Amino acid sequence: MANAKEIQDRMKSVQDTLKITNAMYMISSSKLKKSKKALEATEPYFYTLQSTMSRILRHLPDIDDMYFKDTSKIKKEEKTIGYIVVTSDKGLAGAYNHNVLKQAEQHLNNCPNPKLFVLGELGRHYFEQRGINIDQQFHYTVQNPTLNRARNISETVLDLYLENELDEVYIVYTKMLNAIQTETEFLQLLPLKKADFAIPNLPSGLPVENMQFRPSAEVVMDQIVPDYVVGFVYGALVESYSSEQNSRMMAMEAATKSAKDMLHELGILYNRARQTAITQEITEVIAGAKSQKKKKH
Amino acid sequence: MSSFYLKVIAANRMFYSGRCRSVIIPDMDGEKEILAHHEDLVIAMMDGEMRFQEENSTEWKHAVVGRGFAQIAHNRVTVLVETAESPEEIDIARAKEALERAEEQLRQKQSIQEYYHSSASLARAMTRLKVTSKYL
Repeated sequence: MANAKEIQDRMKSVQDTLKITNAMYMISSSKLKKSKKALEATEPYFYTLQSTMSRILRHLPDIDDMYFKDTSKIKKEEKTIGYIVVTSDKGLAGAYNHNVLKQAEQHLNNCPNPKLFVLGELGRHYFEQRGINIDQQFHYTVQNPTLNRARNISETVLDLYLENELDEVYIVYTKMLNAIQTETEFLQLLPLKKADFAIPNLPSGLPVENMQFRPSAEVVMDQIVPDYVVGFVYGALVESYSSEQNSRMMAMEAATKSAKDMLHELGILYNRARQTAITQEITEVIAGAKSQKKKKH
Repeated sequence: MSSFYLKVIAANRMFYSGRCRSVIIPDMDGEKEILAHHEDLVIAMMDGEMRFQEENSTEWKHAVVGRGFAQIAHNRVTVLVETAESPEEIDIARAKEALERAEEQLRQKQSIQEYYHSSASLARAMTRLKVTSKYL
């Protein structure tokens, strides 16, 4: 059995780790709260945007727009697909990064011409190590997502899309299902699908409203779509950031718990070792006293 | 006087909601005033200055808005913009800094995208400064 000093040292190191994991837990939980608030603040904007787009499409069902192009006719070998992959900058967040990267790689395997836009240090390292080509100019952090950053990201992607360098754009991110569960999502960002904006089960016999557009429906659409993409990217960034903090919170909670369990077990071991040492000392003293007694007689 | 319901939603918050008599928004070729019972319409908006009169007052309220659009349906007006600020909220020092920065960048050689960025931020800074100098 290890001696008491060794066990004590080990307990001290576990205690130090516990302090760190506990602090990280608290930091993540406060960051999570903040990012959730940010997401709530943008929700009305985003929902109104979506409903207006669906309204415009309802009035102009045969609008011929760059953003709604049909890519199903392009051959798979000739299609260039952009992937925006949202990972975290740092590890220690459970399976968060692993899930995203696994999902992304799965899709990469059956796409001949991928173009990767990776967000987050960890994902960049992962793809670099595997020798997968990623866009080097695309350097954004995922900490504290801002609208400005979302705007820059979507501008880069939209520019490439409008110049026909990308035929389709997908985004891989993590969504918060509820307060505890997260799920990796894989969604098509561009081109937009008209079906996504159709309102199902619209009561028939509704008076057809006569909506006008100034200066023209196309101009209005071209103004709205980039904003819609920005809103979407921003939503994905905030969701991912919240999920990251959530995963980290859970991982750190588990670590804190197992550190406490370890401390408990080590405490028992330490007491046992201490008791053994004391018992041995007493035995030695008694044995010494006995031999002295024998000498006197 | 008849009124309509106005909602101004910026990307990061609800800027204003309430009943109004009139609203003037910057559009692509100038300004447009919307009164009660306007026909259903969607207008693409440029960044600039927006004004509106609340139901029971004749005083104009001002706001600096970014790009977006206004939608009129059933006597309800929804203005959806990237940013919206009232003159009191504008940081003059920051706007001045942004103006100088944009002017400096425009003097240098830039890519087309950079040029658009700088001229857009120049326009934003100029509207901010114009509105603050007028109404504060």
